Parts: sequence; structure tokens; C-alpha cells
Amino acid sequence: MLFHTWVFLVFFVLFYAVYLLCRKTRFREPWLLVSSYVFYAWWNPLYLLLIVWSTLIDYVAVTIMERSSRRKLWLTLSIVNNLFLLGFFKYGVFVTENLNLLLARLGIPLTIPAPGVLLPVGISFYTFQSMSYTIDFYRGKIERERSFIRFATFVSLFPQLVAGPIERAKNLLPQLRNNPSITSRDIGDGLSLFVVGLFKKVALADYLALYVDRIYDVPSLHGGLALLLATFAFSWQIYFDFSGYTDMARGIGRMIGIRLMLNFNNPYLADGLGDFWKRWHISLSTWFRDYVYIPLGGNRKGKLNTYRNMVLAMLISGLWHGAAWMFIIWGALHALGRIATRELETSDFYRQRIPRIVKQVTVFSFVTFAWIFFRAASLDDAFIIISRIFGTVWSDPQFPLLMLLLILSIWFYQFLFESRFRTALQSSAVRITIAIAMIVYLFLFAPSGNQPFIYFQF
Amino acid sequence: MKNTQEKQSTPFSSNAIRLSVWEWLIVVGIITILATALPPLWRGLEAFSPSVDYRIPYDFSEDYWLFKQCCRSVSDKGKTLVIGDSVIWGHYVDRDRTLSHFLNSLASDERFVNLGLDGSHPMALLGLIKHYGKTIKGEKVILHMNLLWLSSQEADLQTEKEFRFNHPRLVPQFRPQIPCYVESASNRVGIALECYFPIMQLARHLQVMHFGNTSLPLWTVENPYSNPLGQISIKSAGLAKEREADSQSRKTKGQTLQSLPWVEFETSLQWWAFQHLLELLESRGNDVFVVVGPLNEHVLSPDSIQKYRELLMKAESRLEQTNTPYSFLPLLPSHLYADTSHPLPQGYELLAEHIWNRLK
Repeated sequence: MLFHTWVFLVFFVLFYAVYLLCRKTRFREPWLLVSSYVFYAWWNPLYLLLIVWSTLIDYVAVTIMERSSRRKLWLTLSIVNNLFLLGFFKYGVFVTENLNLLLARLGIPLTIPAPGVLLPVGISFYTFQSMSYTIDFYRGKIERERSFIRFATFVSLFPQLVAGPIERAKNLLPQLRNNPSITSRDIGDGLSLFVVGLFKKVALADYLALYVDRIYDVPSLHGGLALLLATFAFSWQIYFDFSGYTDMARGIGRMIGIRLMLNFNNPYLADGLGDFWKRWHISLSTWFRDYVYIPLGGNRKGKLNTYRNMVLAMLISGLWHGAAWMFIIWGALHALGRIATRELETSDFYRQRIPRIVKQVTVFSFVTFAWIFFRAASLDDAFIIISRIFGTVWSDPQFPLLMLLLILSIWFYQFLFESRFRTALQSSAVRITIAIAMIVYLFLFAPSGNQPFIYFQF
Repeated sequence: MKNTQEKQSTPFSSNAIRLSVWEWLIVVGIITILATALPPLWRGLEAFSPSVDYRIPYDFSEDYWLFKQCCRSVSDKGKTLVIGDSVIWGHYVDRDRTLSHFLNSLASDERFVNLGLDGSHPMALLGLIKHYGKTIKGEKVILHMNLLWLSSQEADLQTEKEFRFNHPRLVPQFRPQIPCYVESASNRVGIALECYFPIMQLARHLQVMHFGNTSLPLWTVENPYSNPLGQISIKSAGLAKEREADSQSRKTKGQTLQSLPWVEFETSLQWWAFQHLLELLESRGNDVFVVVGPLNEHVLSPDSIQKYRELLMKAESRLEQTNTPYSFLPLLPSHLYADTSHPLPQGYELLAEHIWNRLK
């Protein structure tokens, strides 16, 4: 069930009517849980088995951890269980393919059969969310959640279940525990977030996909300029797609009295790779910071170890996105970029003399370049794209001017939003006009069909 | 308390589009005004006065707004509306060689209007009249039933295997279930809503009429350097000259006779739809005269002809039961057919004479 479909609207209206009626009763959480499971089962009811299993193991692990002296054992059990689920369903094919390749290279006549399973939607998100609970409990940062229903709701809360933001128990469980006070401000905010997210997804991301898919499906047929523009468009497509989903998730959250964390903060205005990761998929990057980078030592043990930790965190982050070498290369590129910008930032000349806009454009260009490995269908395609972009095969790109105009307008809006002219955007007339324009555009001109969200595949 | 503080510390968003409930009410108010006012305003601006013999151009068959406009333009004018599929529309003939044209010639006035729609099988026709033909209530109607729609499971939309049929946006989206119609529940809801909201119909009209039956985004990808606003005009393209018809008869002689796997009346979706259409028209006070046929029996195998005639008898019995005035159109000479069901101009002329005599 996708947020931008009529079926979701029907689901939400029914859910919300009952939710409002029982929000101050003991039925609120069971209703939220049942609705979340219905939402998830809409893809495939069998997926429920996995999420229930993951929930059950983590709940039991923490319950025993509270009383047991062998806390580490139960933490390990929880982490192994989650990573096994993730590894089997997400990386099973990748691992067996690479093992078989290795065996063939070594001349060993053995073929390991690949597990023929589908990747359950959102598994990377809810396993990470659930793991954070057990780790935080182990670290003594949170108390044990005694209610299984509440914990199951925390793992499966439908607005953020399939594509985040990956919430922390410290933020979400207390909100579930207390009866929410849904004010008119929450409704207004929720609608604002939802409509902006809907516009980003339907009017922008799905629109850009029309050009990107056409070019990236057969890159060898297109010239350098078309490939460059398609890569540029993909940068924005993935941003609109993913941040659009998050906005909608946060909007729904607000309407039910739950505040989900900000996941995107105008990442294409970042003036360094470090800054970029503080603005892009914030819930994931802070997850990796807290549960991978810092446990590895963070920046406490000298420059070399800092960079090693950074590289490891980024490689794992790349692998989290998908079971393919392309994502690992993408992660490695970002690691190198982060090291490079961190080094540059130590120089006074770079910090003080290089204009911010130059840094922003450079960071955007680098991020865009790295997206090639994220989007290309194969490594061969990625190299074709790069060689053509930097080669001389340039022809008419047939890039829609309306697309360019929309991207530049939104980029400009973001620059304004982070500038001293922000107040101009905050006037009631401007906000109302933009809201009307978005809705009219969605009504009249949105592309037909419901494209899935890119991040669902992760 | 702690929770409240945490709630308040969550940053809102990375843009300034944060509206209060009151501001949303203003937005909803303005959108409602726009959605209510825009369709009639557009209808008024888009000059649409079809001439005699007008029929909806083939390329705009899926522009049901245009059909609605046609219905509106003929309502309360004492016309007789000829409704049906491509046989009425005149698939192999020019617009001045259709059944309604010859009926007008016989009547020596402009009484008959071609409201045929190419490809509109009874299931689609039911949706078309139900949602887009409300303004023709109380009018005289000649309703055509083409029994070819019962000639196979596929034509009757009963096959389990998905296939693309004409006018899926007009068929019932939920009940009765159409086995070969595969569409997501969400899109079905969207399509169903379009039937009730003129603003959505207007959006589709603009897409069909000005963006080559595609969405604006797709159109800009096909025409990257063109100005999409320049495409939209209040001059109705619905009056555009049609492409020339292929009025040559397909060579049927020498071909193997067709053995059609007819479906039963009792289980037929198309017959179900036809009956409901009849009921709908009668409930709206329309004076309905049903015409059935004429199928080109010359290309049918003897057993197919026999089955077809059995169906005709059943149809007759059903029409008798409901006291609906009807006429079975006579079989034409084989050279007056273009294919299994479409007559050629001279064929239409003969059929018009038959109907005219019955109407008198």
C-alpha cells in the first residue's frame, strides 16, 4: 500500500476515524498495531511472519537481558537474529553469486544454490529500528518496554515502517506510551508535510523518472549530455522520491500525534560531504554514527583510525542500500569524498577563501557523480555512462525544459529558505499560493499510474 | 513533560510550507471553488457547436468530456439520439454516410444525432450513459445492440486471462467483476472517482485533447522543447476534421466461415450491461427504441448462424417481457458489409429505411 494511492486514502480515513475515537482509551495501541500489520500485509501477508519474529526475539532478548547477568549474550542473539534475517533475505543471492564466482575461479566444481526468496519490503528499516532498541537498552540508555503490544507497534508503526525514518526507541516509545494530544497545529502540520511529500513524489520524482529511465535503460544509445542530464535528474529524483516518502510519513505521524524525526534537510545545499550526510537520510546516518562509527572508535584514536572507521561505516552503509558491488562502490566513493573534504576543511584557505556556493556546487557534483553507481543497471553501464559523459559523444539530449525549470525553481527555493530572505517564503500568501499550486498541479497534470518508491527496494 | 520537550525539539521541515488549519481551510475553499467553477467555465469558453452528422472523432474516443458536451448540445431540442458502438458511429464510413445521416435524409431534417462511440461495448456504454449522458434524460433514443459482443468469452470480457479492451475507464470498476480486467484497486478507485468529479474529467479532457491522450509530464518528455501551455486552447479540437474512413469492404469471400463460440445470455456480462442500460434510460424517462443487428451471417458457419438466431429469439423474448419497442435489422447482402458487423454506406442507407419505416 503506497501513500500516494487511493487505496491508502481509504485505509487512512477508516483507520483515522477509529483512531480518533479510541485515542484516549486502552484500544489505541492495539488498533495502531493491527492497522500497521494490515498496512504491511497488503504487500504480502507472509511478510508479517518476519516482522513478528524479529519483534518477538528482540522483546524476549531485552526482557531476559534485564534480569540476566549474561547481557551480552542476549544482545548478540538479538543482533545475530536481525542480521541473519537481513542477510538471508537481502544478501543471500549476492553472497551465493559471489561465492560461486570465487569457487569457479578456484576451479572447485561446486555450485551453491541461491535462496529463491523475495526481499520483504522495509526489512532493512525495521530490523535496524528494532536492533537500536536492544543496543540502547544494553547500553543503559533506555528502559525496557514492558508492553509487548507497544513494542510491536514501535517496530511496525505503519507511517515509517517500510522506508523510515528509522526511529529510536528513546524518541518513539515515550510518544506511544502517552496518550497523544492531537492539536489543530498537528493537523495543519500533518497536512502540510503530507501534501509537500505527495507533490515531491507524484509531481516531481515520478516525472523525472520518465527521463531518467529512458536514458539509463540503454545508456549506450545516448550521448554524453543526455547521460549527464539524466544523472543530474536522478539526483533530484531520488531526493524527491525518498524525502517525499519521509514527508508523507512524518505528516501522517503528526496527524496521529507522533513526531517522527526530520530525515532530509535540503541535502543539495551541503557545503561538505560531512554536511551532506548530516542532511541526507539523517536517521540512517546517525544510526551508523551511533552503532557503527562510534563503537569502532569514532575519531578518538588518531587520524588514520578515524578514516578507517569512516570508510568502514560508509562501506556498510553502501551495502545496506543494496546487495550489489555498485552500492559498495558508491559507499567507497562517499568515504573517499568525506576524507577529502575533511582534509580540505582543515585548511584555512579552503574554509575562509573558497565561496560557499563553490563548495555547494562541488559537493552536489560529487554526490551526483556517485549516484551513477547507485542508478546504473550494472558496472558496465556505469562505466559506459562515465566514459560518455567525459568523452566527446555529445548530441541533443532532448531534456524537457519544464523538468529543468522545476528543478532549478526548487533549488532556488531551497537557497532562499536557507538565506536571509527566508521570511519572504514564510508569508501566509506565499505559503497558501504554493499549496494551491501544488494541489492544482497534482489534480490536473500528475502522471498516471503509481510508481513505487525507490527506497522500498532497500 | 519530558516527552513534550522532545516533541517540540523535533525540527518541522526543510521548507516554509507550513500551514495552519485555518490556512488549510482557505486552501480547501479556493480549491473547491476552482474545482467547481473551472469545468463550467471551461465548457463556456470552449466553443462547441457540432454540425449535423457530427460524431466524436476516432482519436478522441476516450474523451468522455467531449461526449458529455455532445449530449449537452442536443438536450431539450427534440432530437432522436442514436446510441451504440462503432456500428452506429460508422467505423468504415465517413460521417455523412452513417446511419443517423441517412435517417436525417429520410426525415428531411436534422432530427437524428450520432451519439455512437467507437469501441463502446455494452459494459462501456452503460458507464458512458450513466455518468456522462445525464443531460439526455427524457429524450428519444434509438439504442443499438450488437450481438457480436456475445460472440466469444473475450468479446464478453469473461476470459480469465488479462487483455486490453476498449474503454476500461467506463466499465464498472468493482461490481460486477470483469475477469479479464486487471487494474490495481487504487487505480480503480481513481477511475471511479473520475466519473463523479467534473474537474477530473476536465483534466482528462485536456490530456486527450491537447496532449495526445497522454499526461503533461509524458508529453513534455516527447516534446522536450515545446511550451505545454501553448498546447492548451479554448478552441475545441473536438470539432476537428476526421481522418478519412476506410470504406472498402474487407474481402470476406473465399475466407473460411467463422465459427463463433457464443456465450449464453444468462451468463453474459455484455447482455447484463445492455439490460441495465435499458433500465437506466427508461428510469430517466427516455423514449427508447432498440435496434438489434444486423450481423453479417454470410461469413458465419451454419452452426454459428443457428446459435446466433437462437440468441436473437432470446433477445426478442426479453425485450417483449419488458415491453420495449424494438426492431431486428434485416440481413444485408454480403457486399454491403465491411466485416462481420459493420455495414458499408449503402448498407446503412437500407438500414435507415427499415428503421424509418418502423418509427413511422
